[in-house]
Amino acid sequence: MPPGRLRWLLVPLVVVPLSWLLFAGLGRNPTDAPSPLIGKPLPSFADTTLVGDQFTSADLAGKPAVINFWASYCIPSCVEEHPFLLGLQADHGADLTLVGVLYNDAPNDALSFLARYGDGGWPNLLDASGRIAVELGVSGPPETFFVDADGIVRGRHIGPLDAASLAAGLAAIGVAS
Amino acid sequence: MRGLALPLALAALLALAGLVAVDALRPSPALTRAEQARQIASELRCPDCQALSVAESRTASAAAIRAEIDELLAAGDSPDAVRSHFVERYGSWILLAPSTPLVWWLPVLGLLAGAAALTAWLWRGRSLPPMPAPGAPPNERLRARVREEEAELDA
Repeated sequence: MPPGRLRWLLVPLVVVPLSWLLFAGLGRNPTDAPSPLIGKPLPSFADTTLVGDQFTSADLAGKPAVINFWASYCIPSCVEEHPFLLGLQADHGADLTLVGVLYNDAPNDALSFLARYGDGGWPNLLDASGRIAVELGVSGPPETFFVDADGIVRGRHIGPLDAASLAAGLAAIGVAS
Repeated sequence: MRGLALPLALAALLALAGLVAVDALRPSPALTRAEQARQIASELRCPDCQALSVAESRTASAAAIRAEIDELLAAGDSPDAVRSHFVERYGSWILLAPSTPLVWWLPVLGLLAGAAALTAWLWRGRSLPPMPAPGAPPNERLRARVREEEAELDA
């Protein structure tokens, strides 16, 4: 191949893909990280709830579960998704286990949040050490995991839940919404 | 002087490669467990801040990860096992530095490729055929054409 033509190949073969790579990086959402836990068993944990009960991940066995990381300071996202969680508990409370996990929050603040926006009665774990969040690779509230009846993580949603993301998550764990 | 430039550049490049190799292959001193924990923490991204390592951040999740690093090391896990423990949970996103050593050699490979391309270019310039002497007569077809046009102008 003559060297002149080689030089013109440089543009489509090197410059264009490189510019595309750099340009695509500009539009990436830094909170959009796929979870490596999908398809793997839920890590085990044990903790105290807001009302002082003991709760372990073994309590989730046999039923699909939805695990929602939230915090009272997470406004407006956690406030926006709260009605969807209340609706989920009302419609599917018998078919699945809904568990809240506080993310770096004070129990009293979390209790006032529930008093203000509605307490659906599902357990909310304190996670004072932050260990459950680390076990699930959580980077900030709100974040929701969908776990099937066999204890396998099937879905993760970062950001506030809405009708579409909730339906997609429930479909992944075999719950008809 | 021009004849010396290429060997000099190559010698400088070799010297640089030697320095890199010495630095990369030098055995690192054995670290205490606290130093190991600190080093691992500095290589992990703090999950709820931007562009800070777990070692530098004061958030609760960074503190939880530091505590977990200490526990895993105390339980006898190797630093690599500790790193992969967090990669299994957060994904390779949690690592601040690439885990494949090959990536670190890409700039060196780029430098070598550039030097090779430059050498090839200089070499080609040296071996080009000499320029044709100026003033060579144009060919017969051109002469005929000039004569034709002169005839047209005269007509």
